Amino acid sequence: MLSDWSFILVITIMAAATFATRVAGAVLMARVTPTARTERFLDGLSVSVIAALVASQLMTADVRNAAAVAVAVAVMCVSRSVVWAMFAGMMFAAAVPFIIAI
Amino acid sequence: MVIGDNRSSTSPDDVALTGAAVLRGMRRLLPVSLFVVPFGVAFGVSAIDHGVGPVQATLMSLLVFTATAQFAALEFLNEPVAFGSLFLVVLALSGRHVVMGAALSRWVNRLPVAKRLATLTLLSDANFADTQPLLQKGESDLGVLLGGGAIMWIAWTASTALGAFGGDLLGDTDAYGFGAVMMCFFAATVVGKLRFSSGLVLPTAAAMAVSAITLPLMPTGWNIILAAVIGGSLAAVFHAE
Repeated sequence: MLSDWSFILVITIMAAATFATRVAGAVLMARVTPTARTERFLDGLSVSVIAALVASQLMTADVRNAAAVAVAVAVMCVSRSVVWAMFAGMMFAAAVPFIIAI
Repeated sequence: MVIGDNRSSTSPDDVALTGAAVLRGMRRLLPVSLFVVPFGVAFGVSAIDHGVGPVQATLMSLLVFTATAQFAALEFLNEPVAFGSLFLVVLALSGRHVVMGAALSRWVNRLPVAKRLATLTLLSDANFADTQPLLQKGESDLGVLLGGGAIMWIAWTASTALGAFGGDLLGDTDAYGFGAVMMCFFAATVVGKLRFSSGLVLPTAAAMAVSAITLPLMPTGWNIILAAVIGGSLAAVFHAE
């Protein structure tokens, strides 16, 4: 159990650290003159960061959830709808225990 | 992509931040935000288990708004608190926001400074993944980003309160497939983006490989930042004009 002051300090540190990371990227880039190359770098960065997040989560996911992601990717390729892809992945993960039971 | 002298076709001169677009952003991410609820409830329940009061847990979600770092922080809540380590862990787990902010800078930095800060305050994985491709396709109203963040923030804070005050109402939500749903959303946004930029397929694949391989080797969070920087660098070097 924390004292109130410790908790206030914890919250302050966490809020300051996350806010700093949220604004730091734009602040840093304000000092960089944009070129075709930096724009390609940022393009690659923007898709890589989300893809890396998925890959990192997949490493600790079980087979069922990993297969659900594969279903979502497949549905996305066909439907081009992020929402449908997400629902399909979730429905698949929810259905797996029933499929195995049969 | 057509590159002009000092601005590209993807960087509109007039960016705006309007209330109408904020509402549009909220509607876009409403379905996604519903799936945050089980995680928010789980955080609220877990916080209570770690000796945090329900008001404190809710305040944390309201003011910090970053799921992974908040779950990690629960392990630090014993006297004496290791404030330095807590700061470093939060920085590492939240550090990918720096990458996202940089990727959004060509739009965000066209706003007046106060609006820039407001737009970035609720930056998270979900509204970044949803809005960045839109901006690239010509969207010029950053209200969409702010609105998407706002609906995720509301869902996260409200569901934390639900779990902290109400307890574990939902039971084992993984049984309903909720454990996979955010990964599915993010994977789908990646596929959606790669459809329009085939030159980014290889850098993205490399980033995924780096992230997976370095996960056991680096403190959590840094593997994602390293992978993103490598993916971006490969794109800068090899991406066809």
